[in-house]
Amino acid sequence: MEQGAGSRERRTRGLYTPRAVHVHCCGSGVPQRVGGVPVEAVREEWLVEDRWWTPTPLRRRYLELILASGRCTVVFCDLAGGRWYEQR
Amino acid sequence: MGEGERREILTEPAALSPEPGREQSVGEVSGAAEAFGVRAGMSLSEALGRCPRLALIPPDPGRAAAEWERIVRALEGIGAEVESTRAGEAFFAVDGLRTLWGPRREDVLTKAARAIGRSARLAGAPNRFCAFAAASATRPRRGRRPLTVPPGGERDFLFPLSASLLDGRLRVDGGDGEGGRLVATLERLGVKTLGELAGLPRIAVADRFGALGLRAHDLASGIDTPLRPRRPHEELIQAIGLPEAAYGTQLERALELLIERLVADPRRNGRAIRSLRLEARLAGGGSWTAEAALRSASSSPERLRLALGPKLGGLAAPATTLALRALELAASGGIQPELADDPAAGRARRLAEAVRQVRAAAGRDSVLRVLDVDPESRIPERWATLAPVNEG
Repeated sequence: MEQGAGSRERRTRGLYTPRAVHVHCCGSGVPQRVGGVPVEAVREEWLVEDRWWTPTPLRRRYLELILASGRCTVVFCDLAGGRWYEQR
Repeated sequence: MGEGERREILTEPAALSPEPGREQSVGEVSGAAEAFGVRAGMSLSEALGRCPRLALIPPDPGRAAAEWERIVRALEGIGAEVESTRAGEAFFAVDGLRTLWGPRREDVLTKAARAIGRSARLAGAPNRFCAFAAASATRPRRGRRPLTVPPGGERDFLFPLSASLLDGRLRVDGGDGEGGRLVATLERLGVKTLGELAGLPRIAVADRFGALGLRAHDLASGIDTPLRPRRPHEELIQAIGLPEAAYGTQLERALELLIERLVADPRRNGRAIRSLRLEARLAGGGSWTAEAALRSASSSPERLRLALGPKLGGLAAPATTLALRALELAASGGIQPELADDPAAGRARRLAEAVRQVRAAAGRDSVLRVLDVDPESRIPERWATLAPVNEG
């Protein structure tokens, strides 16, 4: 095995890692479009606060959305940075 | 694994990944991983939480067992009667060897360290648990004398040590998990050291924790069961001298003879052969070896010949001596072939072959397995991870 290749192959790979997505919201903060696709309905909304005991606490506002294309997707807003991500 | 690759693994945070179907906790960890607070036996989610760039190495139990067998044999080679119930851990009575390698106990341990031939934690003590605790407290250093606890000194040595040493040492009815829970309960109750546990009334410990608690109380008090050494294995080897350097069909005939002798060897004691090594001394000097592993252990001369015959084609020069060594034997008792194929075993075989073929076509990293990290987490990216997988 080549030097350096071993560690790269052995490294674990994350699953369900969040991907940045462009979300357009209305004034009340409810998403209107996700990646350019209009939102049909908000199925569920919840807040996750975790790892508050570490130097990198996590605060996310999750939304499960039905898009106009018929796809069901989960997005969240990172409340620390204000950016939106798609997950799952 | 090459020396360079091994060094690379040991210098970066790495741990043995959990075996499929087993508890989701990491195995042995490298020093770099220890620096991040990762410990052997820690849950996978906690280990990855402490060290996100932890490399997970797929365990290779077969190879580890072979290497461990070499070490145990090396200890038996100096006359030690070895008890070893898990790889990486061996106990033997030192006093009987003092006349050979002593006079001091440290001399015997130094001899054992030389026999092992690689870095190891060695310590001497009046019983198994005390020796384990002493060895855990030492770091292998070249030239450093092994730590020994004198007879009668076990309580003084054990009492200040953490009760967490009992974790994994309380095997009752074949299970280790209860020991971990007992240690956690003791810590919650404020019993942090072995001395504090030993100081508790024995009847109260029995009432609260039952047989497991009594065993823990004994160990903490410096009382352990006697060693149960294994019976040293006999090496099965048959050799034949070839007066005129032999080649081709002559060698095939010699191989048939060796197989017949090996199968008829009374030391085999009815056990089937799992793997063999063919060794030859060449007429022009030098030697040659080839190993063959059988798909299932067998003592049929025909099957052994089919496995070994093609290996002779790799012989580069005429041989003056040919030897056949049984490397691994199956457990005692007859081999009972299945009347019908086990569908589950067949599926596992086909799956292993598929993994090998995908890897051959698309690279080593093309087949990974999903490891549950923290399925209860509220953060989806912590639910699972992809890790390398060993070929069938």
